[in-house]
Amino acid sequence: MPPAYLGEFEQQVLLVVLRLGDEAFGPSIAAELERRAGRRVSRGALYTTFDRLEDKRLLRWRTVPGTEARDGLPRRLYAVSAAGVAALRAAREVVRSLWDGLDARLKKEPGR
Amino acid sequence: VTRLRRPAATSRHGPPRGADWLLRVLLPPGRDSDAIRGDLIEEFRRRRSAGWFYREAFSTIVQGHRYRHMMTLDSLLQDARYAARAAVKAPGFTLLVVLTLALGIGASTAIFSIVNGVLLRPLSLREPDRLLWISEANGRGDVISASWMNYVDWRARAHAFDGMAASRGSSLDLTGIGQARRITGRMVTGNFFQTLGAQPSLGRVFGDADERPGADRVAIVSDEFWRRQLNGDRDVLGRTLTLDGKPHTIVGVLPAGFRYLRSYDVFTALGGITGEPWLADRGNHQGFVAIGRLRPGVTREAAFSELQQIEADLTRSHPDTNADLSVVVEPLAARLVKPIRDTLLVLAGAVGILLLVACVNVAGLLVARGAARQHELAVRAALGGRRGRLVRQLLVESTMLALAGGVLGIAMATVLLRVLIAVAPPGTPRLDEVVLDGSALVFALAAATACGVLFGLLPAAQASRANGQRLVIRTRAAGASAASHRLRRVLMAVEVALALILLTAAGLMMRTLMHMTSIDAGFHPDHTLVVNTSIPEATEDRPRRIATVNEILARTRALPGVTSAGAGMSLPIDGSNWNSVFWPRDKPLPPAHDGLPSAAMLPITDGYFDALGARLVKGRPFDARDTATSAPVAIVNEALAARIWPGQDPIGRQLKQGWPESKGDWREVVGVVADIKFEGITERTTLQFYLPLAQDPPGDFWIVAHTAVVPASISTALSGSIAAVNRDMPIATLKTMDEIVGESIARQRMARFVLGVFAGLAITLAAVGLFGLVAHGVTERRHEVGVRLALGAPRASVIGLLVRHAVGAAMTGAVAGVVVAMPLTRSLEGLLFGVRPVDPATLVGVVLFLLVVTLAACALPAWRASRASITTALRAE
Repeated sequence: MPPAYLGEFEQQVLLVVLRLGDEAFGPSIAAELERRAGRRVSRGALYTTFDRLEDKRLLRWRTVPGTEARDGLPRRLYAVSAAGVAALRAAREVVRSLWDGLDARLKKEPGR
Repeated sequence: VTRLRRPAATSRHGPPRGADWLLRVLLPPGRDSDAIRGDLIEEFRRRRSAGWFYREAFSTIVQGHRYRHMMTLDSLLQDARYAARAAVKAPGFTLLVVLTLALGIGASTAIFSIVNGVLLRPLSLREPDRLLWISEANGRGDVISASWMNYVDWRARAHAFDGMAASRGSSLDLTGIGQARRITGRMVTGNFFQTLGAQPSLGRVFGDADERPGADRVAIVSDEFWRRQLNGDRDVLGRTLTLDGKPHTIVGVLPAGFRYLRSYDVFTALGGITGEPWLADRGNHQGFVAIGRLRPGVTREAAFSELQQIEADLTRSHPDTNADLSVVVEPLAARLVKPIRDTLLVLAGAVGILLLVACVNVAGLLVARGAARQHELAVRAALGGRRGRLVRQLLVESTMLALAGGVLGIAMATVLLRVLIAVAPPGTPRLDEVVLDGSALVFALAAATACGVLFGLLPAAQASRANGQRLVIRTRAAGASAASHRLRRVLMAVEVALALILLTAAGLMMRTLMHMTSIDAGFHPDHTLVVNTSIPEATEDRPRRIATVNEILARTRALPGVTSAGAGMSLPIDGSNWNSVFWPRDKPLPPAHDGLPSAAMLPITDGYFDALGARLVKGRPFDARDTATSAPVAIVNEALAARIWPGQDPIGRQLKQGWPESKGDWREVVGVVADIKFEGITERTTLQFYLPLAQDPPGDFWIVAHTAVVPASISTALSGSIAAVNRDMPIATLKTMDEIVGESIARQRMARFVLGVFAGLAITLAAVGLFGLVAHGVTERRHEVGVRLALGAPRASVIGLLVRHAVGAAMTGAVAGVVVAMPLTRSLEGLLFGVRPVDPATLVGVVLFLLVVTLAACALPAWRASRASITTALRAE
């Protein structure tokens, strides 16, 4: 089976989850995305992306006990599955092959 | 601004209540929504922005739901597309499944429509549930009509009813509009229509005034009679109808579709007879039955016990007439459908079994296909296809097949319904109300969906058990499909058992009809045309009656194509119209009147026996010698001769109709005729006492004509020969004798037809299933067969090996079927004749038939496998 196709936002979410490791909870993922990608993330889009990635078996989570700050409500700790890692690798390969030979031309472009 | 913010973690400030409530209520369930809510609350405590919380709560709810629905719909569509592709890829399989289901669903929808129209749908009267049918039963428990005086007392004393009416059916001779005709009429009390809750479409219904003695004779006509006989004339009110020779004024027209027990042409008010003395005789039961409308809130049971109380009081006050009587109460709707109810329930049960057979058959097909697709399913499971998705995929497939079967089934139902209505016994109540309507469509679709889920579950369960890895590796090995093969054998056994139940029922009906049609009825119904007519009431004088009958007979005999003709007061099968005690002169009188024998009294003319093809055993028939003034003579049937003069010659002995002390003539027996079934094919033959019609001419009689041509072709000529004698003589029941006999066994014929068709379908489906089972086994074991043949096994033993499982399944099913059929066929009891519900001969015959079908279904694939050349068989793996 070829690795699953990843949308841009899906890719970003998976990368952030990887980066955060044991701290990959919903609010921190959102904050990290907003910080690094520099854009506002709608929570609705974020949670449906979690769902979609889980449906595709690229992301999984386990539930851990909540803190006082969230009225004791449980937390989901996200992790990228092996298939998710494979999909990220494949996506990087695609981008890399598309970039191939273009570095020089893009460097010349003014204003970037 | 930053100074005003406190650290989020220390804030006890809660999120906006409204938004939080929405989150709790509206987040899509399932994916731990508490965690998402927790995330939002946690962030809110950091941000302290109610606007943010609202916005994100909404976006989470809305997008979450959108994603959910899209996924469900998306995957369902995907499943449907996949199912459609799979169906097209296996056209034979798809066609077989869809046709099988269409048969099952079509048949059950048609039967459902009839059961719904006749039994289930409420009567088209106001609050029909409150209407009760009330009559009386005699000491033997036979339901008889109610005595008028008892009815009057019920009506006056009972409190359980809003109204209680009485009525009696009577055929009426209609004269004055073209050729006289006999029409159906009902004589009713003034409150009859109010009690039923019927409104006229024109004019008025009857009132209490119409019931009083000496009231004007008034009539209300049915919508159909009004349109057909009165040309739908809106000025019909006030016109006069001559009924039984008496003028009746039309006061109302009933709405279309009005029906009381059956459809009647004309209703007349009782006013004409309420003053007559015979009505006041409490011992007279003159065909009246009552209907009562329950007071709101009063139960049937309460009304019944009140009537029983009144009846008991009446018995105490009138012991001479009421001693053995009891009151009988039934819901009106139940009474109406009584003649056909049991037959319909049998057919409903049978069609249920047929639907089950279809389902089992399709389940077997799907299991076989599931086994063939195990490799595909295993691969999908191994690649991460979730078990739930695979099961749903299979359910979607089976439901789609079932719905296709349902749609085709509805088309089949419309055709079958027409056939069923055509074969239904004449006079079946409410048959004209039967249509394939919305409820039938709902039934068909519900049946289809239920079938889809039901027979989809088995293969789905099978697939969900599939062990992916093992199957991918071992899929080609024979062992992998052993479980599915076992399952199919069980399904086959179930199918054969169900088919056997239907076969048994059909076999019993077949034997019943064989018995019925092989009975010696004492006459030959073929090539015989009969017509019922009567001399207008005004003509009472005997010579005139005799002259009229003779003139009609002379004209009838002169018709081209008529070989013989006669007249009689009664007609075989239709029933004898006059029964009386009699006494032979040479026997001592019994001490009490109870001991007197009773016989059907049958005035007939010469030619009557000839026209019916009855067999004269001894002596002579009536002929021209027997006139009104000649010596009184009689002909008796064999049963009478054997009962009164066993072992003796009855010719020349004398009989008298009536009580011994009556002034009647002693009649000399001149002939003995074979027994004729007057009361119906299946009834016991009564004692029959024929006398010359000229010596006791009835006002109402049958003309019987035997023809050399197709009898129906002279029906116009026959009614013409009556009209030529007297235009006021009504023509009634102009039929062939074959029709009259056919109608008397129509219930059994319909049951045989439907059960026969259903059983035929069921056994065909079972045979196809068995064929498939063997063929499948053969394909799987080709290699083994090749090896065996190569090692020199005789072909016969190889064939035996291949059919063993299928025959085993069929026989297991047969045994189970016999065990289940035995109690079930008891429900046929009321339809059977000459055969008991548990009939060993039928069961043995059915099982043998099944064995033949099984062997035939198995033989072809097994034979083909054993014919295969050894090398081909070995190469198959």
